[in-house]
Amino acid sequence: MGVTAAQYLQQLDAGRRPDLPETTAGTLRLDFRGDGCTDHWYLTIGDQHVRATRSADDADLVVSAERTTFDRMANGELHLAQALLSNELAVRGDLRLLTLLRRIFPGPSGARHPRELGRAAVAGRAGSSGRAGSTGRGERP
Amino acid sequence: MRQELVHVIAGNVFAISDAQGDIELDPHAPVGLFAFDTRFLSHWVLTIDGERINALSRDDMTYFETRFFLVPGAASHYVDADVSIIRHRSVHDCFHEKITVLNHASQPAEFTVRMEMASDFADIVEVGQLRERAVQIAVDPAANRLVLRYERERFARETTVQSTAPVEVDEGGMTFRIHLAPGGTWETDLHVSLTIQGEAGQDLRAGLQSHQQAVRGTMREDLADWLDRAPHLVAERGGLEETYRGSLADLAALRYQPLASSERVPIGGLPWAMALCGRDSIITCLQTMAFTPELAPATLRTLALLQGGQLDDEHDEEPGKILAQLRYGESAAFGERPTALYYGAADTTPLFVVLLDEYERWSGDADLVRELRHPARMALDWIDEYGDLTGDGYVRYQRRNERGGAINQCWKDSADAIVDARGRQPAFPRATCELQGYAYDAKRRGARLAREFWGDPAYADRLEREAAALKDRFNRDFWLPQQEHYALALDPYGEPVDALSSNIGHLLWSGIVADDRAEAVAEHLVGSRLFSGWGVRTFATGQRGYDPVGAHLGGVWPSDNALIAAGLRHYRFDVQAARIAAGIFDLAQTLGGAVPEVIAGYDRSVTKYPVQLPSAGRPQSWSSGALLMLLGTTLGLRPTGDDLLVNPAVPGGFGRLELLDIPGRWGHSDAYARDRTASPHRPRAK
Repeated sequence: MGVTAAQYLQQLDAGRRPDLPETTAGTLRLDFRGDGCTDHWYLTIGDQHVRATRSADDADLVVSAERTTFDRMANGELHLAQALLSNELAVRGDLRLLTLLRRIFPGPSGARHPRELGRAAVAGRAGSSGRAGSTGRGERP
Repeated sequence: MRQELVHVIAGNVFAISDAQGDIELDPHAPVGLFAFDTRFLSHWVLTIDGERINALSRDDMTYFETRFFLVPGAASHYVDADVSIIRHRSVHDCFHEKITVLNHASQPAEFTVRMEMASDFADIVEVGQLRERAVQIAVDPAANRLVLRYERERFARETTVQSTAPVEVDEGGMTFRIHLAPGGTWETDLHVSLTIQGEAGQDLRAGLQSHQQAVRGTMREDLADWLDRAPHLVAERGGLEETYRGSLADLAALRYQPLASSERVPIGGLPWAMALCGRDSIITCLQTMAFTPELAPATLRTLALLQGGQLDDEHDEEPGKILAQLRYGESAAFGERPTALYYGAADTTPLFVVLLDEYERWSGDADLVRELRHPARMALDWIDEYGDLTGDGYVRYQRRNERGGAINQCWKDSADAIVDARGRQPAFPRATCELQGYAYDAKRRGARLAREFWGDPAYADRLEREAAALKDRFNRDFWLPQQEHYALALDPYGEPVDALSSNIGHLLWSGIVADDRAEAVAEHLVGSRLFSGWGVRTFATGQRGYDPVGAHLGGVWPSDNALIAAGLRHYRFDVQAARIAAGIFDLAQTLGGAVPEVIAGYDRSVTKYPVQLPSAGRPQSWSSGALLMLLGTTLGLRPTGDDLLVNPAVPGGFGRLELLDIPGRWGHSDAYARDRTASPHRPRAK
């Protein structure tokens, strides 16, 4: 494991984040459960900036999970939507803010830019198409 | 031959049973009670004195409510007229069935009424390859209750069945021993609540009450209001008004409220796509703009919220990309399929921008355009940064999730849909032609939004330059001068995939077709190789891959045809557009009921009847939407400034058409038309 979620949030870039919508603002509290105690992190989002502090104040959205779950998220090892569906995350409040966490925490490491596949194909090292399952919209058996 | 299936729907909660109202496991069909992609009942069979019952008739009251009128015994037997049974079923966020037993005899009677109950908690995407799950069953006789529960780690799903009448409960169901006076009646309410763990627990009786109130009050009122808000159609042609109202009701049925939203958005359709599918939702909104415009802002906001933010191979996600599919089932929760948030679609992102602009043109809702500036800008940036895989300026796709990603990431999403005239599949990444049309349209529309609402004229100029260059390049690289049509796609090396396909009709809709080539395209679309008599085939006859029962290699899709007819009218091919509209109206009215997503591509002159494909779902939001869009195209509805322009092109034999109270930035406006063959009078517009 690379960093813990606590380390990740401590070192969070305080600068402008152009990938956040300028019209979105709100507060999130992350409750890290474990070892008989809960740590609270408080994210204030607004004007394309994110500020991370330690506070147990009430927030627009409260997300709680095991500390290790947050650690996996901080390393791009856990998909937020899957964690919500599998009930690894519990949420209370304005669920719209949850999607912002997907931009605050990193994506999976080693992800490729689509152009890598395009360049490889053109260079003659054609990417394989594979014949496994498909995720078409109207999936039929 | 499979027996008729009966459904009740409330967004992504739905039940499919046989004509008796019974549910029995079918390994290949999604029969059962489903919610949020999970089956909560896989067995639900009613018997009386140990005997199965048989339907005499049925009243499909609304999309969410059905009554079955039944008697004991198989249809071939003597029907015992002394007892009859009514099952009155409805669905909301839970499921409810009132069972009434009537004794018609002059003697008292005793019966044993039993409902067998079970659930396999299958994820709907597993149907066809079902697996066993350990289901815990809790019998609670004191509360007249049976609880079925499935758990995997913290993931849990629970079905609770409760009866209002006293009942014997066992692990396989509930048994009622009833005594009826002469002419007497007995009834019970079976309430089935569906629990997704993680939600706040709710008292079941409160759920029961709120469900009955919801169905009796809110849902009926909601449907009445929905139909009321839509324009009123007066049509001389018999049956068209009913088909129109049926399509509106189908669209009402296929709305659901995502967890993070306060508004309802269209889902794909029954049975396989009862989930948010970006493409289907956007196309449906575009189709229904003149009729049910409230779908568009809800869809735009939802898709903006779920817009891609990261590079993620598993989910084929890139920053700015618009969602392909969102599911809540077990396979999504545990990452066995990438569908918790799946982005494998190359068309949804440009179409998102097209929808935002189109919605503003109709509604005048400038605030929404400003609110969604950031996601729209990210979508426009996606086209060049992530959509263009080989750097030649065309939008392409190639899945990075080779285990479960979509092979073809365009509307023709079956694995073998993209082939050349000799049936050969091109290499990846593929640039299908309609994607280029969408990208062109998105840039032009994005330019208008940037200039008029975002105060960014320099960006608007840039987008317009890029759009013009794309159109030039496209007309050079995709045009096949010998065949006089556009190629279906380019392979990664820039070689055309030379098949003749319906995709060229989308090019007219997007406006990327050079004026001097439009006529050749239009003639192909209504020529005998593409046009079946009912509509335009996905893939033309006379090519190696053509298959009349292949969904994307010969089948006829109403949704595809609606965009094509609109495209033909953009280029003033009114006669051709009217032919297609007439064919699809005939198709819908001949079949009756909800418009199917696809029919076979056989020649109409051969089959005389639209041949349905077993895999074709209905209702489907973009098929019901297609019917509305074709009406709008027939009337030639178009917003110009603050007014609604009406410029009809009515198919022969349709007579008079009136569409009253069309909502938009003009308030409400009416459109009147008359087919020109029927009368010497000119159509008039108001």
